[in-house]
Order: sequence, then structure tokens, then C-alpha cells
Amino acid sequence: MIEGKLVDLVPFEDDFATYFETWMNEEPWFMAQFWERREPHPEDVVKKYIEKMEKNERGALIGFQAKNDDPIGGLIYDHEWSRVRKLDVTWFVGDVRYEGSDEALDGLLMLVRYCFEVRNSHRLDASALAIDTTRINLLERAGFVHEGTLRQHIRWNGGYVDAEVYGLLETEWPGYEAKIASIDLQPSGLEPKPKPEKKDEKNGEKK
Amino acid sequence: MTILKGLLVDLVPMNAFEDKMYAFWNNESRQWAFMGEWGPVSRATIKRIIEHRREGAAHGYTGVHFIMRARDGETIGTIGLNWVNQWCRTASTGAWIGEKDYWSGGHGTDGLLLLMQYAFDWLDLRRMDLETMDINRRAQQNVERCGFRLEARRRAATFVDGKPVDTLVYGILREEWPGREALVNELNLRQRAEKRYGKVE
Amino acid sequence: MLQGLLVDLVPYGQVYRDLEHTWRNHEASFWSSGGDRPIVTHAELRTHFERRAEYQNRPDAGVTFGVQTKDGTPIGFFSINWLVPHHRLAMLGARIGDPAYWGGGYGTDALTLLVDYAFDWMDIHKVWLGTTDANARVQRQMEKVGFVLEARNRDESLMDGVWVDGLLYGILRDQWPGRAAVIERIGLKAHR
Repeated sequence: MIEGKLVDLVPFEDDFATYFETWMNEEPWFMAQFWERREPHPEDVVKKYIEKMEKNERGALIGFQAKNDDPIGGLIYDHEWSRVRKLDVTWFVGDVRYEGSDEALDGLLMLVRYCFEVRNSHRLDASALAIDTTRINLLERAGFVHEGTLRQHIRWNGGYVDAEVYGLLETEWPGYEAKIASIDLQPSGLEPKPKPEKKDEKNGEKK
Repeated sequence: MTILKGLLVDLVPMNAFEDKMYAFWNNESRQWAFMGEWGPVSRATIKRIIEHRREGAAHGYTGVHFIMRARDGETIGTIGLNWVNQWCRTASTGAWIGEKDYWSGGHGTDGLLLLMQYAFDWLDLRRMDLETMDINRRAQQNVERCGFRLEARRRAATFVDGKPVDTLVYGILREEWPGREALVNELNLRQRAEKRYGKVE
Repeated sequence: MLQGLLVDLVPYGQVYRDLEHTWRNHEASFWSSGGDRPIVTHAELRTHFERRAEYQNRPDAGVTFGVQTKDGTPIGFFSINWLVPHHRLAMLGARIGDPAYWGGGYGTDALTLLVDYAFDWMDIHKVWLGTTDANARVQRQMEKVGFVLEARNRDESLMDGVWVDGLLYGILRDQWPGRAAVIERIGLKAHR
């Protein structure tokens, strides 16, 4: 476990994997993964995605949770380019109560910290649909710089929407401690969710 | 967890489907879904079919499949795009309601309208088509109400209960699609949903 | 296959794959890769092409054309190398291997052929591509042909030890007047 101010980073397994069967079919996932075709993800597909990310040498899926151990969502870095030390980063907030919260911001800051201070990245790429103002807000609060607008880039709900492109350089990252000292992160004080029901082994449908 | 929320059904991921699939493959609904084919199917065969589909998905298979789950929580069938040609921007669709109690009342219509909205709004397709037997009046009424037009009659294309049967090819172009809302209103789908399940949220 | 004024776009066959050894180990690849200086053997390239062949039948497989002059000399490739079918989005890549054919209109001829192909044959909604801000030639070409600069990714690439920005250019189908109009406007003419 890697501890942050409001959230901790943990392996994406156990309860995270159970929640993910729901989360991977809900709006925050599709908004984060807007490059992918929007389609239903049955449990076996969810499981395969987790396995794929476990085997991925150029990326990872990391869980982040509140201080009371309540799973919030996932942090993802991917498409690592070793020559130029560049990474794509994104995140999704599975528990929608935390959408746009300081916990979500801390999750992003912890991801950035991990990429710069552990993976030794030089540059982080992030993008957001222009309609995803929550994500844009968090990126800007974290210090990402708006670098352009890919016009009418993504098919979305009957039309085409712009994709906003952001970047952050290692020279622009003051370090996690300095960064959170400059932002006043406040915990949301949310009650933990009840533990997810495990399905029985034999084909049962979760209600 | 839902992808596409409707009035009578939601279209959801194909989870935990083996038991239902076994039931559907072995009841009278199969004849209708499979152009007349029927016969007993074992659990082992169902397992193989599911495995085969999952492998297909790993090899660039373009189809998208949903389970139709009624408002009362019952898994009633499947619907989806069997293949998608993104260059011609067309897709072929098929649906199968395995539970006879849900053959009418608007479930099939609701499911099809959700799928059409997905195909036109999210995948930006310009055409959908499907094929059905000419003895399947229920399916024809359903697709015609949703805006599909009869394009071809394939004579003696299938065989049912000892006799050759024609199949019908229906198509719809995006210019002919007025949108899900317009058709929901035209077909009184809200009232039908309320009648069956009580007030719609 | 696709016939231009200075070049034709043809299938990317064995002669191109063989020439890839020269081109990839050469200066051209420094520009087309945004700063990489690969050193590759014939065997490595064979493996690379075998692996690529496995993807050819996927619905999101791109399209690669060989580029040859009117007298049949292969000079490089132009491709749709990243296709996103559900967004009807195509990213282009290209490399003219021999510096003798840099400038002179060969790349522009090939580019306009490929853009027409993407919009007319693949019903693409948007074509985009990236370059670096060190590549003045491509930037000039983008402006000439009508691509719009949409993003500047700062310090995206390292070229001979210097960080350079990446530039993303895009063009939407309803902004593309068609190859004929573009080459008329820029005055592209066949040699001789």
C-alpha cells in the first residue's frame, strides 16, 4: 500500500475486482476510456481486462481507496514510451459519490507522483472529452497544461465531440508533498459502502 | 449495472447466462429465433457455444451482444448486432426472446429501439438490417413498427416443420430513423410499460 | 492502385519490405519517428512484418500503401496506421525513404491521394496525424494541404538530445474539398 493524504494506492483485486464488474459498465468508465467502443462488458471480459493489465509491461491498473478502506476507483497509466519516457494517464471514479471530490484529485496526484517519482517519466499525456468538465477540472487542479483541442474527434451519443489534450512535464511537478501543501485537500467524510456481495460459484445472478 | 436503459427492458452485459441459455435453446422459442431449427441441446453443448463466442471476441469479432432484462429483473432473451462493418457503416441485427411470457407487451420493441439508438447514435452507422421468417408475424410487426422496410423475400430459404418457408430481409437507413423518443411516443411504449410494470420512473 | 501526378500508391509488397532495411536504418527514419535512430537487422524486420501480418484481418487493421514514382521507383510508404472504426477516425503515418524525394511534391501527392481514399473509400469522419516541431517540411505541407493544427504536445520527443514538441494536425471530412481542388489550389504538377 502506498499512502497519500486522502487516499491510498492498492492492488486492483478482491473487492475492486468485484466492483469493477459494475464499474466497467457505467458512465465514469466510458468517459475515461472514450477511445474504446462503448459496449457491454460481461464478467469474463472484466476479468480479462484486469489480467491484461497485470501482464502489461508498459502500463498498470491501480486501485485507490479512501482512508477507511472504501474502494473508490482505478488509476491507470499505459503506453509507456521508454525512449522519451512518456506515459498516458487516466483514472475512473467507480463510486460516484466521490466524483469530482478531493479524494479523486488526490488519486490523480498520487498517480502523477507514481509516474514521475517512481517510473521516472519525463512527460504525462492526459485527455478528456470536452463535455467531461469534472475530469478537466481535476486535470487543471493537478497542474496539467491544456495543449490543444482535437476537434470533433470522438463519436458520442449522436454526434461528434471535441477531445481536450493535456500534458504535464517532470519539470512542472513540484513533488507530491509540495503539491498537496499548495492545495487544501479536504476529505469528503463519506460512510464506507457495504461490502460487495460475492456471487455464489454456480452461475447465480447477483441481484 | 446497465448499459442501455429502456421502459420495459434494459440491455445489459451477458453475465451468468448459461442456465437461461440452456432453457431457451431447448424451448419452442428456438425455432423462431433459428429459422425453424430445433432439437434437444445438452449443457455441454451450451458451454461449448459460449466458449466459442468468447474466443471469437478475442479475434477482432465486430458484433456487440446484450441480454434483455425485463423491468421485473428476469433475463428474457438476447439482442445485438451480429456483425458491424464500420466502413460500409452497416450492421446486421438479431434478437431472441426465450421466455414466452415476454413475447408481447412491448419488450421486443423496447429492446430493438434501444439497440437502434445505440447503432445510430453511438456507432454512427447508416444502415441496419435483419432477416426473419415469413411465418414470424410477430417479428415482422415489431420491426415494421420500428421503421424497418421490407427489402427482399428469399423464397424457400429455410425449412420449418417439413415445409420450405420464405425469409424476409428488412432494412432501415439512418435518414428513416426518427429517433427512439419519437417512436416510443408513437407506439405508446410508456403506457404499455406502466400497464405491465406500474409507474415508470 | 491510386494514381497521382508524381507518384502512385501501390500495394506494400516484398520490394518495399526489402527496402525497409535501407530506409529504417537511415536518416529518413529519424524524421518519421520523431527522433529515433533505429539500428535493425533484416531478421528483426522479418519478425516485425510477420507480427504485423497477424493483425491484417482485424476490422481495425490499418492500410499501408507503397509509394512509387511514375517510372516505378519505390520511394517509401504512406499508411493509415491507427484506425478507430467506431469513431471513424484514421491516423496517418508516412516515410519517404530517400532524401532525393523529399520536397518536390512527392509526399504531398501521396498525402492527398491517401486523404481522398480515407474519406471516399473508408467513409472516415476525420483524418489526423502527428509530427514534431523540428519538422519544418511537414508543417509547411500541412498548411498547404489544409490540415488544422489542433494540439502542441510539449517536450513529447527527443531529437538528438533536444526535447521537441509534438504537433497534432487534423482535418474533418466536411472541410476537405477533395484532392482535385487541393492540388489545383497548390499548383501541383506532373514533372516533364
